[in-house]
Amino acid sequence: MDETKSNPEPLDEVTAGRLAQLEDYIMKNCLWQFHSRSWDRRVQNEGILSKTTQILCGEPVDTGTPLDRCHWADAVVMAEEFQRRCPWLTEMPKDEVKALMDALHKHLDYILIDGSLNLELTDQHY
Amino acid sequence: MECQVKPRERAGIINPIFTCQPCGAQFASIGIKDCIGIVHGGQGCVMFVRLLFSQHFKESFELASSSVHEDGAIFGAVGRVEQAVDVLLMRYPHVKVVPIISTCLTEVIGDDIEGVVRKLNAELLPEKYPDREVHLIPIHTPSFVGSMVSGYDITVLDFVKYFAEKTEPNGKLNVFTGWVNPGDVTALKHLLAQMDIDATVFFEIETFDSPLMPEGNHVSHGETTIEDLQGSANAMGTIALNRYEGAKAAEFLQSEFEIPTIIGPTPIGIRNTDTFLKNLKALTGKPIPESLVRERGIAIDALTDLVHMFLADKRVAIYGNPDLVIGLAQFCIDLEMKPKVLLLGDDNSRYKDDPRVKELQENVDWDMEVITNADFWELEDRIKNKGLELDLMLGHSKGRFISIDYDIPMLRVGFPTYDRAGMYRHPVVGYAGAIWLAEQMANTLFTDMEHKKVREWSLNVW
Amino acid sequence: MPYHEFECSKCIPERKKHAVVKGHGEDLTSALPLGYLNTIPGTISERGCAYCGAKHVIGTPMKDVIHLSHGPLGCTYDTWQTKRYISDNDNFQIKYTFATDMKEKNVVFGAEKLLKQNILEAFKAFPKIKRMTIYQTCASALIGDDLNAIAAEVMEEMPEVDIFVCNSPGFGGPSQSGGHHKINIAWVNQKVGTLEPKEITSDYVINYVGEYNIQGDQEVMMDFFKRMGVQVLSTFTGNGTYDDLRCMHRAQLNVLECARSAEYICNELRVRYGIPRLDIDGFGFEPLGNSLRKIGLFFGIEDRAQAIIDEETARWKPELDWYKARLMHKKVCLWPGGSKLWHWAHVIHAEMGVDVVSVYTKFGHQGDMEKGISRCEEGALAIDDPNELEGLEAMETLEPDIIFTGKRPGEVAKKIRVPYLNAHAYHNGPWKGWEGWVRFARDIYNAIFSPIHELAKLDISKDEIPGDCGFKTQRMLSDANLPDEVRNDPTLRQYTGKFDCLKDLRGKTYPVFERKTAAAPAAAAV
Repeated sequence: MDETKSNPEPLDEVTAGRLAQLEDYIMKNCLWQFHSRSWDRRVQNEGILSKTTQILCGEPVDTGTPLDRCHWADAVVMAEEFQRRCPWLTEMPKDEVKALMDALHKHLDYILIDGSLNLELTDQHY
Repeated sequence: MECQVKPRERAGIINPIFTCQPCGAQFASIGIKDCIGIVHGGQGCVMFVRLLFSQHFKESFELASSSVHEDGAIFGAVGRVEQAVDVLLMRYPHVKVVPIISTCLTEVIGDDIEGVVRKLNAELLPEKYPDREVHLIPIHTPSFVGSMVSGYDITVLDFVKYFAEKTEPNGKLNVFTGWVNPGDVTALKHLLAQMDIDATVFFEIETFDSPLMPEGNHVSHGETTIEDLQGSANAMGTIALNRYEGAKAAEFLQSEFEIPTIIGPTPIGIRNTDTFLKNLKALTGKPIPESLVRERGIAIDALTDLVHMFLADKRVAIYGNPDLVIGLAQFCIDLEMKPKVLLLGDDNSRYKDDPRVKELQENVDWDMEVITNADFWELEDRIKNKGLELDLMLGHSKGRFISIDYDIPMLRVGFPTYDRAGMYRHPVVGYAGAIWLAEQMANTLFTDMEHKKVREWSLNVW
Repeated sequence: MPYHEFECSKCIPERKKHAVVKGHGEDLTSALPLGYLNTIPGTISERGCAYCGAKHVIGTPMKDVIHLSHGPLGCTYDTWQTKRYISDNDNFQIKYTFATDMKEKNVVFGAEKLLKQNILEAFKAFPKIKRMTIYQTCASALIGDDLNAIAAEVMEEMPEVDIFVCNSPGFGGPSQSGGHHKINIAWVNQKVGTLEPKEITSDYVINYVGEYNIQGDQEVMMDFFKRMGVQVLSTFTGNGTYDDLRCMHRAQLNVLECARSAEYICNELRVRYGIPRLDIDGFGFEPLGNSLRKIGLFFGIEDRAQAIIDEETARWKPELDWYKARLMHKKVCLWPGGSKLWHWAHVIHAEMGVDVVSVYTKFGHQGDMEKGISRCEEGALAIDDPNELEGLEAMETLEPDIIFTGKRPGEVAKKIRVPYLNAHAYHNGPWKGWEGWVRFARDIYNAIFSPIHELAKLDISKDEIPGDCGFKTQRMLSDANLPDEVRNDPTLRQYTGKFDCLKDLRGKTYPVFERKTAAAPAAAAV
């Protein structure tokens, strides 16, 4: 593996456990994170995770473009599932939610893009 | 009222009756013990043929590929054969016979499979497998020549040519069965046993119908050995049942080793089985025993129950492998039926001169067509657009939708028959085959009468 | 997540990185099988070729098209009548297949004339069919015939017909996946945007992509879309029509089912026409429900999706759970071709209770393995491009109760007394939809608890022959160790649907939803 692609900063045990729960849901139930090229995965991660964060924090979500709406649809379902499966999430202050989701985003970028062993991710052609 | 022989006049194929030569080569290969063929071409040429065999036999057979991809197609792919042979030998330590079967792809790019076999024989085999008996046999089966039928014929010839070795006479009879089912081999061996004839059957494929054993057993495979093939040169005689599947090998043994040889007839029906026994007697000097007189009597009895009441004048279409189709037509005529269309699915120019076809032309007193190089559209178009009326179809499963869509009862015969259970288990040859065919035809008609409610009451008393 | 080395493949070092075991606390950055590499010759791999990927998997499910392969007839014959992609126009695409019957002289002198003659003959034989796809094969690719030129010539002479050319010879790519790619791109390049839809009937218009109507899956999904008032402009390609698929550019959303075979066209439609791609799961109660909800959310009609979810769940959950109770911890080798390893890996565990002990893909890419490995549980063995001996070794080590794979590998499993279900063509499908998912569970149950397997393991020469019963029912086997409260749970029941569950769907009437916008006028000519 490329040494320059290191896993993000280690997290405390509680955060790591919570992050693992969210990650487990995504990896087992979602498909949006598995587009076939790095740039595409980055767009997906950014779009859907940021909208999920906004939903979890009760903030307005931009659904202006068709792509925004598509990301938002995935995000709505995911936010609901997070809340259903992780009761602690509903109690969590917004800034902590944001921090957790930010850590999740970084982690997913790492396992799905920067640390990925999928050799096709950087192929120039679909 | 006449029998016409004519080729398909369209350029293209709408619903093919046959597949291509490599399939025939693969079918021959799986009949040999300790043999795994390597098909030199794309993966599909193996994967789909294995699927076809598994559809027909409900078993899986081992066949390998040289897996030619884009680079090989452009730069030549003999290196793929070298690798395939090595990988196969490393992982299948029992394998001794490896036919290298060409395809359209590797014939068009002109891969020299003789050359690569020479190279492997000179380098890989002595260096890496010095203590191992390995036979690499190049087989040319371009898909744009002939069909699976000629592919089978060529491959049987190539195996015999490669192995046949004159030593001491072995007193055995070579029997080339052609493209048959396990049930046919059982029936043939039964007749040979009744005649007290020691025969080598090419190929021993009764084991294609393999058991599911308590300890597990994952491979269905033929049982013809290298020794069987070598000994073909020392036989007292050869019978090839089929003119187009295995006859080339028989003719080779005749010309090369002066082995008395009889080709045909395909022993389908009473008359052809009688002739087969007569030929056995002629070649071996063994008498036809009482037991076969009795067995024949049972068959005659069974047929008598059916012919003039139920089978007479029934109009039939028959398609598939040429020897099978012709043999079935002859039998049907003996059963008072009227074959209307025979479809032979490749462009072999010998069909029109086949004496059996000539005999049909000379004697048939109703309109009949023998179509060579045929596809299924030749049949369907006649039914759909040209007023052909049929009471029964005989042939393999690929024609099933004609039967279904035009509501014509059909008995599955030949290869492949994947839409009926266990057809490979039943013989069409010999007296047993005659009984089975006639009764299955009758039962097929009976079911149709009930399904269509046409004279279904007539079966109340029979 | 260590790479797994098969005993039987130790002599082929190239295979070392094609299998991994999903380890505890590890993720996709620990190990990932290599994928979509050229097949190793002589391994007895289960892969097909790029021609079959294009013609057999993706092209042929289009239902109103003459499918003509330009080459010797074997390719055509071999890929004919080996699948169960049905259609609602009496299965024209299953019944008829066309080959130009290239012979030696054509190989030497070229076969373009032969091709043209074939095209004309085929249209003449089927005067009502006006659409055709021509597939290149190894032979026609190598002799350099210009299929596009001939197609253009015929279209010029016969303006009423339209012809699509797919240049995907068997050797073109490591596996059938190369053909998926080529036909996706060829379709979007040649045909999308060349026709406008006859009528837009809804405010909510999708393409349903990567769905092949295996045993009626597409028709099951169409039922849900119609109940939601969503117009499916085209299905790529199961039960789909050629002309509908030329109009793909007019959809608002691409709903993508099989991202292995059809992501390319979605990606291109996104780039060229700005249509977003929504990846969905049509299998399993919860994944399917969430998929419909996402489509509903996208259009602002999630209540319609929820109504379907509530109705279907109430109807079918008691039946699914009956099977789940009996399938708990049965071991499954999930060995399909490409997409089902990830479509099913998690949801059969979550909703049917089975444990997936292995996943494999015959022709998939590393992306499919990422999904498959993510979705299966720890300890599962993941294999890329498996070969026959590896499959046997894995089954002997893992001792699965059942495998989901193709027809022929299924025969291999049979011989070592492992029951199989057809992962490509299904046993008694459809398996999509709520009812379909129960049918799948029912098929698994009937396979695992068949009394024949018990009999198969008995060696009458050595074992005690139990002479005390005349038969066994599936339930005598499945319920033997179930607690009473589960066995007699009055809320659960076995499958109560019909043998043919499609009949009632065909001809069903649907509610008419009021449009937000006035009905669009018929599209202007292109």
